[in-house]
Amino acid sequence: MSDTNRHTGMLPTTVIGSYAVPEWLGQLRNDYYQRRISQKYLNEIHEMAIKAAILDQERAGIDIFSDGELRRDNDIDYLLARIPGVTIAHRAKADYLDYYNAEVSRPLPEPDGQGLGLAEEFRFASQLTDRPVKVSITGPFSLSRRITDTAYSDPAELVRALARHLNAEARDLAAAGARLLQIDEPFLAGYPDQIGLAVEAINIVTDVPGVSWVLHVCYGNRYARPLWQGHYDFLFPAVHETKVDRLALEFARKGDEDLRLLRQHKWDRGLGLGVIDVKTDQVESRDLVAARISRALRYVTPEQLVINPDCGLRHLAPEAAREKLASMVAATAQIRAELGPG
Amino acid sequence: MRIEIRPVSRLRGPEPVEFTDSLASIVESLSASDIDLSQVRVTCDWIQYRSSFREVADLRVVLPAAAHADTTEPGIELAVDLRRCADADLRALVTGLLAENASPASSARLSLEPWVTGTASCIWRFNSLYWQALSAWEQATGREYERSLPGGKSDASNVEAVRELILELFKVWDDLDARDALPAELYVVELGVGNGSQARTWLDEFVALSNAHSRDYYRRLHYLMGDYSPHVLNRARQAVAHHGDHVNALVVDATHPAISLGFLRGKAFLVYISNVYDNLPTDEVARVSGRAYQVEVRAFLPMGAARRIARRYGAPVRKLPDLVEKLLRLGPELLCDVFPQHFGEPARAVAFWQQVWAALRLQERYVPFEGLDLYQIGPALTGETLRAQLESDGDIRIHVNNGALSSFAETLPLLHPFGRLQCHDLFVTDVRDYRRGFHGPGKYDGSVVNWVNGPLLRHVGRRGGFDVRISPFRQRPSANVKTLTAGVRE
Repeated sequence: MSDTNRHTGMLPTTVIGSYAVPEWLGQLRNDYYQRRISQKYLNEIHEMAIKAAILDQERAGIDIFSDGELRRDNDIDYLLARIPGVTIAHRAKADYLDYYNAEVSRPLPEPDGQGLGLAEEFRFASQLTDRPVKVSITGPFSLSRRITDTAYSDPAELVRALARHLNAEARDLAAAGARLLQIDEPFLAGYPDQIGLAVEAINIVTDVPGVSWVLHVCYGNRYARPLWQGHYDFLFPAVHETKVDRLALEFARKGDEDLRLLRQHKWDRGLGLGVIDVKTDQVESRDLVAARISRALRYVTPEQLVINPDCGLRHLAPEAAREKLASMVAATAQIRAELGPG
Repeated sequence: MRIEIRPVSRLRGPEPVEFTDSLASIVESLSASDIDLSQVRVTCDWIQYRSSFREVADLRVVLPAAAHADTTEPGIELAVDLRRCADADLRALVTGLLAENASPASSARLSLEPWVTGTASCIWRFNSLYWQALSAWEQATGREYERSLPGGKSDASNVEAVRELILELFKVWDDLDARDALPAELYVVELGVGNGSQARTWLDEFVALSNAHSRDYYRRLHYLMGDYSPHVLNRARQAVAHHGDHVNALVVDATHPAISLGFLRGKAFLVYISNVYDNLPTDEVARVSGRAYQVEVRAFLPMGAARRIARRYGAPVRKLPDLVEKLLRLGPELLCDVFPQHFGEPARAVAFWQQVWAALRLQERYVPFEGLDLYQIGPALTGETLRAQLESDGDIRIHVNNGALSSFAETLPLLHPFGRLQCHDLFVTDVRDYRRGFHGPGKYDGSVVNWVNGPLLRHVGRRGGFDVRISPFRQRPSANVKTLTAGVRE
């Protein structure tokens, strides 16, 4: 039984990270970028939204929470804007979902102990609930893909430098009490030939004692559209070299054809099974989700499985997000009952 | 009192238009009344359409919010068409409009519907009827609808533009092929097929270019023609019959393409749309004195025209709204069957249709929004989408282009990650253009035409992760028709 399962029981449920952003919250973020409201005002709004997101997860019956990443505009900017040495010339945005144009013109300084602020955010979220709280960090490879790099002759050096900053942040998170951390690599599927570099950088990040790590690899969820197409073949065998405890992959939208890869490549660590399509507001029935879990159990053991959506819920309507999580939890309960007491 | 002159470009130049006398007449008439002049706006447009829904002058009420309805007098907007002012007795017109406003029972209008939003107006049912019964209309006028377009020809069949587009597609396909990522089926979609000339030109050019290219892309090509009108679709199919199985025709509701074309999600390399968006239902919204309003409309016939039409078909005036309703529901042929006493033959019913259409006008009023989020533009878009434009720069009135926006939002997901949407239409390219000119609605033959709010489409595309560019139609840069291109953002 994995570390996570020991705390939460068989087939624990969780989210990938981001939670639904209501239209009005998006509007307020744009108001901030257009200088209609202050950073202080926006921070307070975000804190209220995080409380609501945690309450929604609690009501849905989720076992492992996130803070909904509600302070983050998207999967990239929040971290890039905080890493020393990354220059963002123009911080105004027409729309909060837009990416910044980030640049690195000289080698990044080494982490200086100032941190990126995620540890404080973890403290805020974890004091709101007794359930375990997971924190997601966009991985160094994906972050590097959104940087114009004129500093390093070898682009891999930028990836490693970013990884060192993320590792320092992960250590801060561990010191703050975080026991479950996740690396998201939403761009990796577009660069399958770079898997070796990505794994090397992931292992720099995860070099933190006392933390259980998840690696989430999807086909992109920017604007609720996949960025890439393909299969998870490219992860293997390299992913065996990662120092992570669980892989979280998307199967609901793509179908479960790639489940065979786990058996084929003898993946014996945890699997975060994506059972909810986050690119449509259409709510999956409990039976459909249960069928997805059952099919996965042909390839992995119940002890390996954690049940989660394909990706973050950022682009779903709040009502759809709530209903989808409820459906996921109900389906998981059904499968647990079928499996009997572990 | 505020006076807004939108066609400012006509105030200068070699032949500046003289508005002074007209404005003086308007101000004098308003001053002679006992209305609160501080609550009056005069907006002057230049209606470029030969045929439109506007009178030379009309009066629009600006309603107060529900919470203040008991204590606040409605504001008044006097809308004037400067193009036709010179030949009109503005003093008499304005005086008459003020009298009608004070005493609505004295109105010289025959209303054909209650106050409704722009999209719900019967003008769009007339528009649908035109496309459904196009052959009957064309028989009566003796000319095909494409002849009624400005210039007498659609921009769709410009060979040079077509060749350019195809060669760009070949480049994308070559690149995908090199990475072993080219799908076996290559889908191209055309929405709004007209008489098929675009499809014929496109496919004939495709064959020629494909033969010259080293790869035989024609073998893998599926060209899907979608149109609302089965009549139009049938005619278009005949035009491309020599391309056999490479072409399929589908009846597609242009405002909801996903219903018919959902199976193409992520597969279409090109969606081509020409002169469709300007013909889809739209609301208008406005910002007046800092507050957001919906423009409500009510179709009517001026009483003089109503009497003439009624007399011609042997019907009392009061029966006209019912006859129009039946026309819109049944079409001209069945109308003739149902009311043989008025329409002895289908041609007479078509003539009735054309005369009503020619006389049809829209009365307007401004109704305050209680919240933009409560306004549903389309299935997945709320009025919040409009906020940036409404708050961009003082008072403004804009098209929502509900039909075009829904169509656009549902079409984008059909695109392959390397696909593109290309659209030729009448686009407003800058929201400030709405402060400088009139952009519809007008009438083209039996159909409605509006310019399309390009920046709004750009905004919606951007929120969906697409780059949207609007550029001059390269083969005819001075044309009002512009090219909108949308593709996935990096």
